Amino acid sequence: METAFISKLRPFWDALAQTMDVYAPRKIAEHYVYSRYDPSDSPDPDWNEIRSCTPPKDFLFPPRELASVLPQPSEPVEIRPFAVLGLKACDLRSLEILDRVFREEGMEDPSYAVRRQAMFTIASDCSSAGESCFCNVLGGRPYPESGFDLSISPVTDGYIIQGGSPRGKSFLFSHAKMFGDVPDALLDERKGRREGVVRQLAQAHADLPLGVPLKDLVERGYDSEIFDEEARTCVECQACTRVCPTCHCFYLYDTRQQDYFAKMKMWDSCMRIGYAGVAGGANPRKILGDRLRHRYMHKFVWFFDRYGIEMCVGCGRCIDAETGDVDMRRILRRLNEELLNEERTAMKATK
Amino acid sequence: MTANPYQPMNAEIVDIIEESPTIKSFVIVPDGPFRFDTGQFVELTLPGEGEAPFTPSSSPAITKDMEITIMKAGRVTALLHECRKGQPVGIRGPYGTGYPVDEFAGKHVYIVGGGVGLAPIRSLFLTLVDRIGDFRSLVCRFGARTPEDFIYKDTLFGAWQKLDGVDIKLTVDKANGDWDGPVGVVTKILSPKDVDIDNAVAIVCGPPVMMKYATVSLLGYGFKPARIYLSMEKNMSCGIGKCGHCMLGKYYVCKDGPVFTFEQISKYPNIWE
Repeated sequence: METAFISKLRPFWDALAQTMDVYAPRKIAEHYVYSRYDPSDSPDPDWNEIRSCTPPKDFLFPPRELASVLPQPSEPVEIRPFAVLGLKACDLRSLEILDRVFREEGMEDPSYAVRRQAMFTIASDCSSAGESCFCNVLGGRPYPESGFDLSISPVTDGYIIQGGSPRGKSFLFSHAKMFGDVPDALLDERKGRREGVVRQLAQAHADLPLGVPLKDLVERGYDSEIFDEEARTCVECQACTRVCPTCHCFYLYDTRQQDYFAKMKMWDSCMRIGYAGVAGGANPRKILGDRLRHRYMHKFVWFFDRYGIEMCVGCGRCIDAETGDVDMRRILRRLNEELLNEERTAMKATK
Repeated sequence: MTANPYQPMNAEIVDIIEESPTIKSFVIVPDGPFRFDTGQFVELTLPGEGEAPFTPSSSPAITKDMEITIMKAGRVTALLHECRKGQPVGIRGPYGTGYPVDEFAGKHVYIVGGGVGLAPIRSLFLTLVDRIGDFRSLVCRFGARTPEDFIYKDTLFGAWQKLDGVDIKLTVDKANGDWDGPVGVVTKILSPKDVDIDNAVAIVCGPPVMMKYATVSLLGYGFKPARIYLSMEKNMSCGIGKCGHCMLGKYYVCKDGPVFTFEQISKYPNIWE
């Protein structure tokens, strides 16, 4: 079963909750955050028009977790199957990026791998583009195309549910009574709605190179003072790296418990001054501008060189979370302008 | 279910050797055989306190115990220096890629080392000496601040000097006592005549500033960037290319290094810091 129609989602959520924990978006002020959905007393989950405020990496790579225990190793973590609702295309891409790192063959992170296996992804279309969204600059689209178990698209008087994986399709099949067929007219409607958001995004970022790897642009800007200038308003709150769905730096530290020693794994941030320092005192990035530069190089150049994909999905969470005023779109725009100016100057010089 | 890469193997410090005023070697016996290639590193955990990366200084041919030489440089190393025999520790690894010893066969091996950088070099030296006939020559140029600051003094001043096919020259920044050797930084005792450069590889390990100037000298003598092997010091933490701390351009020092050729990393910024 590839696609199915349902007029109200509540029975669908309740069916999911019978076999797994369900996490659903809830609107708080103008943002969406996740909370556990309880069929017996939770209100209907909110339909998140855009991606949530907090990144989905929270479900797979918690801010702090136990890495290992000495001297007697602990049992591996057991994770109950869980579903996450309302993941957007940018979120799915962030999972793909994290998978490359944490599920790398022969170097798998066991805790991530177990959680990822237990995660049932229910994606949905973006009903509009958020103020800080720029997924299209990274070649993304505002609707899920792959990497989900099920995806949901709102249409007149109901929703189209699409199966994206064997386990998603099997869910649809085993709950077939709940669903109706999808007439072609609704598929056309879905297409129309999706194209509307694509146009909205294209208009918002007409001044950025769209859908091409940003590697060259950022790499050629390595010596640019733009990073130093933009870092001037950064207050080093590290919120950008915390809310980023693809940032995955962490540090290991050791603690002493009553009758064992624990090695803990905790999120870290490359924007922190001591991040790259060594015991002898050397630190390649003492200057804040260098740390910002490093963050962009990692995201757009070095990660791309290694994995063939940028480590950014254009979700704009870093822009929303920023305490200072560092806007990734503005930095990319400025790098682009600088590059174009250089090319113009070079052209004139050769004439 | 894959093994937990963050789980150290239990081990014990069975002996401690005072090498210099700030450097000690720890003989560590792991609970099981622990194999590594020369130049690879391990993460040593002082339970409850912290973890730090070190390249073992013993021969990889020995798997029942290993030696790790540690300079007191930060919090964890200072705590390790306070440890006594019998201290339980943990080791993870080995990590990364070490020295490509097989590629050195048929060539002169020119090793430039300084300070605690002799620790990884000792492991390499012992590996090379085991098959010394495979190399045209083994030429070592080592420096330390003062004669007391040399580590592995007994063998360095004694047995190693007498080995066939091995040429060792030492220098100190500051002479004292009965030192009658050269005085000055290690680059002062390098000479383009030490080896046939077209048929040689160079290995550099030491403090960053020494590595920088040694590399500059070697390039000046005509060593190709691809023939200069550097042991890079970064704050490797996870060991498996994930945590991000040891990034050097696109490389993770923990996974792609810690041994790099100068050719691999020369285009990246601040490599010596």
